[in-house]
Amino acid sequence: MSKEPNREGTSEQTFFADPALDRALGVVMALATEVYVLRDRLRAVEALLDKAGVVSINDLDAPPTAAALQAGEADRQAFVAGLMEPLLGRQASKGAPSGGEAGHG
Amino acid sequence: MDERGFAVGQAFMLDAKKYWSTVLYATLKSDYRRRVRLTGREPQSAADVQALIGDTTLYRYYAWLERHLQRFKYSGRYGLVPYHRERAAVQLAPLEQAADDPRLELNPDLALPKYCATVDIHQHPGGVWGEPIAGLVYERGARSTTPMMGSRHRDLHQRFTDLVVEGGKSDRILDMGCGFGKSTKPFYETFPEAEIEAVDLAAPCLKLACHDAVQAQAQNVRFRQMNAYETDYAAGSFDLVTSTMLIHELPPKEIDRLFDEAHRVLAPGGRMVHLDFHILPDAFAEFLHYGHGRRNNEPFMQPWAEIDVAGLLAVKGFRNVSVEPFAEADGVDVTDNPSWRFPWTVIAAEKA
Repeated sequence: MSKEPNREGTSEQTFFADPALDRALGVVMALATEVYVLRDRLRAVEALLDKAGVVSINDLDAPPTAAALQAGEADRQAFVAGLMEPLLGRQASKGAPSGGEAGHG
Repeated sequence: MDERGFAVGQAFMLDAKKYWSTVLYATLKSDYRRRVRLTGREPQSAADVQALIGDTTLYRYYAWLERHLQRFKYSGRYGLVPYHRERAAVQLAPLEQAADDPRLELNPDLALPKYCATVDIHQHPGGVWGEPIAGLVYERGARSTTPMMGSRHRDLHQRFTDLVVEGGKSDRILDMGCGFGKSTKPFYETFPEAEIEAVDLAAPCLKLACHDAVQAQAQNVRFRQMNAYETDYAAGSFDLVTSTMLIHELPPKEIDRLFDEAHRVLAPGGRMVHLDFHILPDAFAEFLHYGHGRRNNEPFMQPWAEIDVAGLLAVKGFRNVSVEPFAEADGVDVTDNPSWRFPWTVIAAEKA
């Protein structure tokens, strides 16, 4: 993580009506970079393991069998649910009634 | 940060920049043209273009990416600055060996002009003079300044040097604002019989430039830390004065002084040839370029583009003044390129 201090007197350049979107996009881009670095490393590990005869890349690339897809279904659905749940705006804990700080989410 | 993660993280960001340079830029341009057709009125200024597309979602993403891909390149988790800081001791050792070389002359007492200290140009934290690794950071960063050229970026400097060669042979050459020497190298290699003097404010860059010259066994170059518009050379010392991507970093008053200094140190009949960003073919290019200046922390990009440079040079006593677009690679369309490019321009003149 960058430890650069915020440059004194420098105001944030924003491009969207709500600066929250500017910052959220930064999070998305940082995550996308991380995902790609991980993806690259995984492929490197696979190639090394294939070379050492531990796994076969052909086996890894082969489509999953119907049984394997079925076995992964519950895990997939839990993943999707965890990803999408915040879109619903449901409250997981009981809070103060609306007004006051509650207006800020 | 491991080497692989750094290389792949940077490659990912560069590919994102290439997408921005091609698909996003082309889509933005096509959306702009569609809007122009609908209004039936050709925009005449950057302000007109701003009114037409400045609030569109597409332009906002274009602008955001231009700002933030550059920020990630320098400062993110896989950024150039943290990468080189982690490796400073090892990477700086060979540069320090070049510190006593007669080709290098540093001036620790040189005060940085105020405009340098107020803005971190290119979004490079601390700027190109801020810390010992700054030259290495800048060199690595410059490899992707022109995203579509990739590793051919260095070709651009040779291409410019070749253009200068067409104007005739030079024996004494001054490269103003030489940075880490990427513009100087093709000159000392192309003119082995000439004496090349190269000046810059940034000691970290000059050390790297000297290190490269030592590696190249160049005997005809000297790198000196001084201000390009305030050198200590005698009047009439050079028959060629050049600079590459320097002028747009200077405030208008200092640009004026730079041309005065070039005129002073040139011998009568000597030539001045600068490569920079200047000619903006239309209002759309103007709008994007001024925005680029803001987003890339280059506050003088717009004031420089607005100067009537041909008129200024004529007033200063130069003759045969020419201000022409420069194609940085084969096949580039300098007036209407399908992908994003800098408005490269060659500014040339002769001392009467």
